[in-house]
Amino acid sequence: MTDTQDAVSTVAVTVNGAEIQANPGELLIDACERTGTYIPRFCYHPRMSPVGMCRMCLVEVDTGRGPALQPSCMLPVTDGMTVDTESELTRKAQDGVLEFLLANHPLDCPVCDKGGECPLQDQTMAFGPGESRFIEEKRHYEKPIAISDTVYLDRERCILCDRCTRFADEVAGDTLIHFMDRGNNTQVNTFPDEPFASYFSGNTVQICPVGALTAKPYRFKARPWDLEENLSTAWTDSVGSRITVQSSRNKVLRVLGVDSESVNWGWLSDKERFAFEALNSVNRITQPMARADSGSDLASTGWAAAMSTIVDVLTDVDPARIGVIGGARLTNEAQYAWAKLAKGILGTDNVDAQLGDGLPAAVVLGLPRATIADACRPGGTIILAGPDPKEDLGALFLRLRHAVVNDGATLIELTPHRTGLSGIAAHSLHPRPGELGDLAAAVVAAGSGTASDAAGVAADAIAAAAASISGPVTVVLGRASLAESSAAIVDAATALNGLADVSFLSALRRGNVHGALDAGLAPGLLPGRTTLADGGEAFAEAWGSVPESTGLDTAGMLAAAAAGDIDVLVLLGADPLSDFPEAAAAEAGLAGAATVIAIDTLPNASLVAHADLVLPAAAATEVDGTFTNLEGRVSVCEQKVTPCGTARSDWMIAAQIAQRLGKDLGIESPAAARAELAALSAVHGDLTEAALAAAGVEGVLCSGNGSIAEPAGSGSVDPANDAYSLRLVATRRMYDAGTTLSHSPSSAGLARSIELRLNPADFDKLGVEAGSVVQLISNKGELMTPVIADPGVPAGSAAIPANSPGANANQLIDASQPVTDVRVERS
Amino acid sequence: MADPLDYLRGFAVTFKKLFEDRVTGDYRGGKAKEGAPDNKRPKPERFHGRHVLNRYEDGMEKCIGCELCAGVCPAKCIYVRGADNDPDDPTSPGERFGYVYEINYLRCIHCDLCVEACPTQAITESKLFEFSFTNRNDAIYTKNELVVDDDGMPQKMPWEDWREGDDQLTSGWMRATSSAGDHRYEGSVHWAGELGYGVRAPEVGQSAGTISTDGGNSPAEVRSENDG
Repeated sequence: MTDTQDAVSTVAVTVNGAEIQANPGELLIDACERTGTYIPRFCYHPRMSPVGMCRMCLVEVDTGRGPALQPSCMLPVTDGMTVDTESELTRKAQDGVLEFLLANHPLDCPVCDKGGECPLQDQTMAFGPGESRFIEEKRHYEKPIAISDTVYLDRERCILCDRCTRFADEVAGDTLIHFMDRGNNTQVNTFPDEPFASYFSGNTVQICPVGALTAKPYRFKARPWDLEENLSTAWTDSVGSRITVQSSRNKVLRVLGVDSESVNWGWLSDKERFAFEALNSVNRITQPMARADSGSDLASTGWAAAMSTIVDVLTDVDPARIGVIGGARLTNEAQYAWAKLAKGILGTDNVDAQLGDGLPAAVVLGLPRATIADACRPGGTIILAGPDPKEDLGALFLRLRHAVVNDGATLIELTPHRTGLSGIAAHSLHPRPGELGDLAAAVVAAGSGTASDAAGVAADAIAAAAASISGPVTVVLGRASLAESSAAIVDAATALNGLADVSFLSALRRGNVHGALDAGLAPGLLPGRTTLADGGEAFAEAWGSVPESTGLDTAGMLAAAAAGDIDVLVLLGADPLSDFPEAAAAEAGLAGAATVIAIDTLPNASLVAHADLVLPAAAATEVDGTFTNLEGRVSVCEQKVTPCGTARSDWMIAAQIAQRLGKDLGIESPAAARAELAALSAVHGDLTEAALAAAGVEGVLCSGNGSIAEPAGSGSVDPANDAYSLRLVATRRMYDAGTTLSHSPSSAGLARSIELRLNPADFDKLGVEAGSVVQLISNKGELMTPVIADPGVPAGSAAIPANSPGANANQLIDASQPVTDVRVERS
Repeated sequence: MADPLDYLRGFAVTFKKLFEDRVTGDYRGGKAKEGAPDNKRPKPERFHGRHVLNRYEDGMEKCIGCELCAGVCPAKCIYVRGADNDPDDPTSPGERFGYVYEINYLRCIHCDLCVEACPTQAITESKLFEFSFTNRNDAIYTKNELVVDDDGMPQKMPWEDWREGDDQLTSGWMRATSSAGDHRYEGSVHWAGELGYGVRAPEVGQSAGTISTDGGNSPAEVRSENDG
């Protein structure tokens, strides 16, 4: 053989007379599209396995045995293949397939939400026969049936392409819809009495090539030609999924996933997809509000009056008596503006974007960092020491699931109980709450030969898990349970950092929380992943001054406020009453602060009960800026609609406060804030306008640890075991009583009420029955809850959801303790 | 230097017209004093005037809120929003109805593309063209004003000058052939019945070369039948 290398690396295929170079193993349909020849298709989707259901991609292929029609989505390229996508035979096949698909497809395009952007319409126009010979009655089914709270199915329109069912089965793993019946009666449907209750159901609407699946929030709201769209980034969790925000008449009507190779692959969780409804809520805060005295209600006021009040309360205040809680909702630019306002101008270091429900900044920023792609490397190992990604970080869940199922990654779970990934995990180890550090240390030790029991997990299980670790290791690290302090996770992280070739992917859930940490919205931190000690000098020069000593975190601020040591507490899109792990501490802190200023988009519990002054903030679709995801990837959020009412961007509010205080924040636009951040920060140097524009959907990865050192162990000791109590595990669910969801009409009903899950073995010991209502009592409070048996919860743990409608777990949790013990009593 | 006679030649047309019959009539836009002549020239059968939104014979609205009229409108004068029909009390047949329907007559150029685009023949045009407004809001017709009344007749706004026949057969120009435009279907009825008129008989002679032999009527015949 003379030509070795080239012949192996590419395959020569002749398409319509022109030779193209295809990659070996590439499907013919992909190779043609990549080189500019579009082959029509309905069932083929590049992110799912080909099935050849629709026959639309039939083309005339000659592989040496004479030309024949073959489905190009099922056909890998071979050397010397000759393809004709425009031959008489191909055209006849396309005509025939379309006429056949339209035999039963109703022509109700004018009332169909897909009409105008419908692949079946488009391809009938481009490749179809023009007239149908069918005059027979079409197939009839009941018009749209709601297969879940957000998705409608119109079976008459379905062309049986298998996309939605493949998505549910292959990608999401929720096999809740499938084909039923046969022949002409074949239809997609759910199992009887079992809705398509998937967190990812919205994706099926997006990939449906006809209008068979439509989404309730968009149903009949607009036609495609009304819509204008912007590339943006999803704001409801920290995955940073790329989306396109579509609006008509200055109202956001739909969010669709955009295929970003590095982040979400086009998929979205339903929360990311449908949470825009909250931004159109009639409850949006549209103008500043003030409370005349503590007993009265909030009353509307003007911006000028509100700003005067702010100036009054901020003038001549000891900086240590000012606190800023929250900021994860903001864009990077607004976060930088607020960091500069708080730390540079007001001079306080009492700033924390996390509400005591996250991890110390040193753990998030100081360990070797992984990207999602790193975590999903074929042959690698994923150690999940954090929340259930299916509940918290939907798009990340789909990527991890694909890595494990399709790419042979090994998944080891170190979680308080079963998660959405347990079914595909190689090993699921469930430590006793508060003892994750011990378990992680035991796994690392077992890797070097000495396995022992730890945290209630048997030595042989630990040894087996340790033995399965191979290849590069990625630890998905986050706060699984609000009822445990972060100390055990810090210990686990430091222990797992001892593994070879290990890196960490943060699983903090809240919106732009990673951007907030990068912007320095944490005690002791400055923008660009640096600390007061390391970067203080440089920033003092740039900003005029920086705080002298490390301030308080959210727990510290709330305690100080309760003790009367905080005069001004700013809630920057924060709701401590709902989100701080201990409700009583949040209540005392908010009640104790002399003035509470809330800057938010929607009313939340803390704002309604305690805010003395409320400023309306522009929401995610109403501002320009960037967003940092859990990898540190910065991607653009573009303004799509004008802010609601008199709401203003958060950076603008910061700049105005500074101006009214007689100082100049030096920020006049989001771009200016971004440029200043890039100039001052050690890790944002690559974040130029040109780089952002060039990166497109992929975003700019700002990697590195800056000057944050690796965290040391927490030094905490394992909490003593009380044989009479259960240990509380409070985990997040995708649908909870959060502010955004409760203002989204389509999703609000999906939040389930509280339920206590116990290991079946614990029922006898406690003397309660599954299904009964019990009382859950801690030293902080009590809750009434139904109890169910769940073998996925280890014995000795009591699992409840964190923020259920009507019953928030934070009424039980003692945030000052490593774990919260609860008693279960019959009511 | 130009020939001075060119000047007079230029006036030749003017002088000639002075002695011809006038084409304008005694038209006072409906504001004529008692006894004064107020004549209008007859309007063509397919005159493009103010729109109406038709209803089916059972009273249901034909509009389904599909926005095709708004999409095709070159003047962008139509605003439509659809909504779900209440299954127990539907406004139109099917799932969707026109929830908002507005035409801004300050922008409308009466090109009739909306009528061509309408898949349900919901929107057609009457022969009324004389309507002037004293404020913007009157110029924006909403669904309440555009939908035909319970007899299938256009609603008459105070500022509109309706003449005899303007409100008749507002959909009388309806496609002679199939909605696909295929002349082979000439003579076969491809439109729905409408409130006040029932199913309209097909018209003849509207496609090249073929004359229907199976009872098609001319527009004038259609009118006289309906009047009778």
